[in-house]
Amino acid sequence: MTRLQKSVVYWLCLSPLAVVILLPYAVMLSTSLKPRAEILSFPPTWIGSEFRFANYAEMWDATGFGPSLAASLIVSAAATVVCLLVAIPAAYALARLRFRGRSLYAQLLLITQMLSPIVLVIGIFRLMAAMGLVDQLWALVLTYGAFNLAFAVWMLQSYFATIPKELEEAAWIDGASGLQSLTLVFLPLALPAVAVTSIFIFIYSWNEFVLALTLMRSPDKFTLPLKIFSLVGGAYRIDWEYVMAATFLASVPVAIVFSWLQRYLVRGLSVGAVK
Amino acid sequence: MDPAAAEPAPGHFSRVQRATLLPYVMILPSVALAVWIIGYPIYDVAHTSLHDVNRFGQVRGFAGLANFEALLADRIFIESFWRTVIWTVAVVGGTILFSIPIALMLDDDFIGQGLARVIVMLPWAVSLAMTAIVWRWTLNGQYGMLNATLFNLGMLDGPVEWLATAQVAFPVMIGIGILVSIPFTVTVFLGGLASLPRDIYEAARIDGATAWQRFTELTLPLLRPFINIAIVLNIIYVFNSFPIIWVLTQGDPANSTDILVTYLYKLAFRYGRLDVAAAMSLVMFAALLAFTIVYAWMVMRERRAEAAA
Repeated sequence: MTRLQKSVVYWLCLSPLAVVILLPYAVMLSTSLKPRAEILSFPPTWIGSEFRFANYAEMWDATGFGPSLAASLIVSAAATVVCLLVAIPAAYALARLRFRGRSLYAQLLLITQMLSPIVLVIGIFRLMAAMGLVDQLWALVLTYGAFNLAFAVWMLQSYFATIPKELEEAAWIDGASGLQSLTLVFLPLALPAVAVTSIFIFIYSWNEFVLALTLMRSPDKFTLPLKIFSLVGGAYRIDWEYVMAATFLASVPVAIVFSWLQRYLVRGLSVGAVK
Repeated sequence: MDPAAAEPAPGHFSRVQRATLLPYVMILPSVALAVWIIGYPIYDVAHTSLHDVNRFGQVRGFAGLANFEALLADRIFIESFWRTVIWTVAVVGGTILFSIPIALMLDDDFIGQGLARVIVMLPWAVSLAMTAIVWRWTLNGQYGMLNATLFNLGMLDGPVEWLATAQVAFPVMIGIGILVSIPFTVTVFLGGLASLPRDIYEAARIDGATAWQRFTELTLPLLRPFINIAIVLNIIYVFNSFPIIWVLTQGDPANSTDILVTYLYKLAFRYGRLDVAAAMSLVMFAALLAFTIVYAWMVMRERRAEAAA
């Protein structure tokens, strides 16, 4: 079989899946650009009488998209920072240092990975209520940071372990202190791993739903998934052109970044697996 | 010997002590965060499950195992439990079956391989809640594009209400569950395929093994650990998967599409039974833990049997 024949066969096999994956994007674009009157007309069509880009501007004001975008950005960025600040030293210790309780610590991390927020949602809600953090963005920052810890430490330490120890030792011999060799030699080398890990934490936080649904009360503090859910859940009238416009704006930028990054994840998982 | 290490100044750690303490100082923040945000809620759920708690969350008194008894006597809980088993087995089984051939294709060299990888990974990037919202609109009986498109292609005679009855809605949701689980699973398999030794394939080819033989005799056994990891992690994810069902049907009509997590959420935050819901959380956690331990034990026994053979 030639490469061309093989490619045709592969694409034929993958095409049903590709259609099902891309269908929602087509629906988002189609509905978000139709005039309202044509959305609830039967039978529906893929392309309306005009491409109504004004839907996007109207949606922005009508739904309070701006504050939710800000909430999502703040929560995702802060959760990423919190998680990295805590995970980087831990990953360094796991990758470089020998200490008693190392395997116990690794197992503890695995258990936190196994727990999902939904199973603990009652306890988390009561904890946040006791601390007065219900309806505060901090509640999301802390929980997202904590639930990404295991993933972040694991990703980082598998990269850290591939950085030659000799480079740091050379810095020590040249008279650098431990902290200097860490910040001037080690971290710059580890920067790609840190960047990739942080983007995955960011995307998790950007997309998380259950905790936001449980912990947030005021619509202007809703993160984007919750905001969009609130437009369809319980609303008397659903403006589907706004819902689809908001979903498109909230998901496409992340999808583009992710498409560019997914190769690093494959690499990260295979590095971790070889260990 | 370094004098600084031999005689620490009072109130200061010696260098040796500092070197032994250093790893603990470095892992301390992560332990603190995990204990605070994950550990304390575990304790609180356990505590709540043994007490009588009113709908405002006030603890009124020790209840023993009354909450667990109430849970086991709850018909909806039992039904949700079996539905969760079906949901988990169907989604994870379907995901693994689809993901192996997809990963094999994506690992191979063909025209448009990069684009195909991007498309297959795409559902991973988007919030499950938003994916489910778009599907809810796409599946709308009257105005949804799925009915319209299938009708135009001559594949439907009239509109189908995809989400109105459990008999149709539940399989549809299983399908969406499979779709969104494929990217992660394919990623694990691609990682596994990348780690396979290439030279044994050359040897097998020279010995005259067919493509199918190379797959069943070489790839599948070598991929086995990765399939095991994918099954365990997917079972944990899918068992805990909330947004798809919550957005599409909220477990309704009449709790007929509830799985354990959606029923847990209703019990806690809609019906105000925090105590029974806490008992349910513990039962679910115990089930997951037991599953993981049994699975790990099975895998280890298998490996030992292989080593002995």
